[in-house]
Amino acid sequence: MEKVNKQFLTGHEVVVQACVDAEATHMFGYPITPGTEILSGWIKKCQEDKKLHFLQTEDEIAAGFTVCGALMAGSKAFTATAGPGTVLMQDAMGMADGMRLPFVTIIAQRGGPSSGTVIYSQQEVNLAIHGGNGEGLRLVFSPSTVEELYRLTRKAFNDAWTYRFPTVVLTDGYLLKTKQDVTLDFAGENVEPKPLVSEHTQKNIRNIYTFEQELMDELENQKKDFDEMAKTVTEFESYKVESCEELIIAHGIVGAAARDAVDELQAQGKSVGLFRPITLSPFPKDELNKLVKGVNKIMIVESSMGQLRDLVKQSLEVENKIKIEGLYKPAVGIEVEEIVELFK
Amino acid sequence: MNIKILLSGDGGQGIQLIANMICQAAFGSDFHVTSIPNYGLEQRGGVSLNFIQISDKKIVYPKFTKPDILLIMSPQAKERVVEYEKNGKLKLEIGEYEQILKENNVPRQSQNIFCLGLIAKILEEREILKKENVFELLEKKLVTKSGWEENAKSFELGTL
Repeated sequence: MEKVNKQFLTGHEVVVQACVDAEATHMFGYPITPGTEILSGWIKKCQEDKKLHFLQTEDEIAAGFTVCGALMAGSKAFTATAGPGTVLMQDAMGMADGMRLPFVTIIAQRGGPSSGTVIYSQQEVNLAIHGGNGEGLRLVFSPSTVEELYRLTRKAFNDAWTYRFPTVVLTDGYLLKTKQDVTLDFAGENVEPKPLVSEHTQKNIRNIYTFEQELMDELENQKKDFDEMAKTVTEFESYKVESCEELIIAHGIVGAAARDAVDELQAQGKSVGLFRPITLSPFPKDELNKLVKGVNKIMIVESSMGQLRDLVKQSLEVENKIKIEGLYKPAVGIEVEEIVELFK
Repeated sequence: MNIKILLSGDGGQGIQLIANMICQAAFGSDFHVTSIPNYGLEQRGGVSLNFIQISDKKIVYPKFTKPDILLIMSPQAKERVVEYEKNGKLKLEIGEYEQILKENNVPRQSQNIFCLGLIAKILEEREILKKENVFELLEKKLVTKSGWEENAKSFELGTL
């Protein structure tokens, strides 16, 4: 596999690089901390390469619908947003849900409700997965390191255009602002975009139906396709889980802290492993259920009041038999030492 | 080897600039480096932090609670990092250098560069980087800007 020299880059910079390397051509967005540097970084790329385009729209609603239009015309378009912007983006994402548009959004989670903080959270999990009206199905990735942020952003475009489901890279202000030495893997093919409607033949991509049954049939088809896709795209990391008695479950950057914590706990002789869902939707259910069979306690660790816990509980087949505890710290970071402390 | 450095000061004091210089120099010496800034809404006046890790192994999680080196550049920053101060090993507090800064006429806006000198010296002793390399990076960044002479002198003073 082709590797390039080590670079020293921020999360924002690797996201922009991943979008360029995925051969995305259009970004429509409205600046909001901590995601603004994705827009400004993309604008810089547009100045260097005339094939790339951007438009700063009047708000996230306009940005989202402009993405929908560009996608239908066959452009690999995307957006990035955060916090209250993620709320406004739901209208257009909902249209993308209904029409099966390959809508790629990078979400830079910040504290909420409302303007909250501009810094960090893991509070936009529900919004990323279930933010639309109806029951739209979305592919949601949660990267835990800067290198993984690159890989998953790049993959988001390929999966979106292959399976035609809206795709979210759910990241946060900490990971995006982290500057780190990275070795990016540029190898891999990009899926070609193609116009979803044609000027010459009539094709109606619908987001409204006259009859209830028609809509239900469509949704059932979507569910079938999504479940089929899940077999291929579902990703997770199991770290040092061999015959572990207790299992930490964490995602995103908290997953990175948990990984360090597992190293420390095992060095202390404790039997603790880590399960880190990389796709939050579809959730790696089967793998989780297999893994918890030998475990006597689950410890959920997240920077929200329990959005990951709810995903885990929905997924567990043996929920009643297993003890679930957790460290829930809405909108603040979780340190390695705090996680280690949980097992004292 | 893993060294954790927490830099703290007021917004506008130049914390992020010196963080960048330290990281670039360590990266140039082929170490794994992470840096994560933390500041609020304010353009000036708030507390500005930067968490740096330098390691010979790949770094998974960029934040930490126990800094090996803790820089405190203002009373407001000191309040903010009180939890880290408890766990910190080596503390560099600007207040303790008041006399030297005064005697050498280090202007307020060069105090961060003086602190950069202090840290560069420590990191050279620990064979992480060369202070000349930090100076070169600094020169490249600031040589055309006003106050370069004072900055160069302040850096030198910090490394003594």
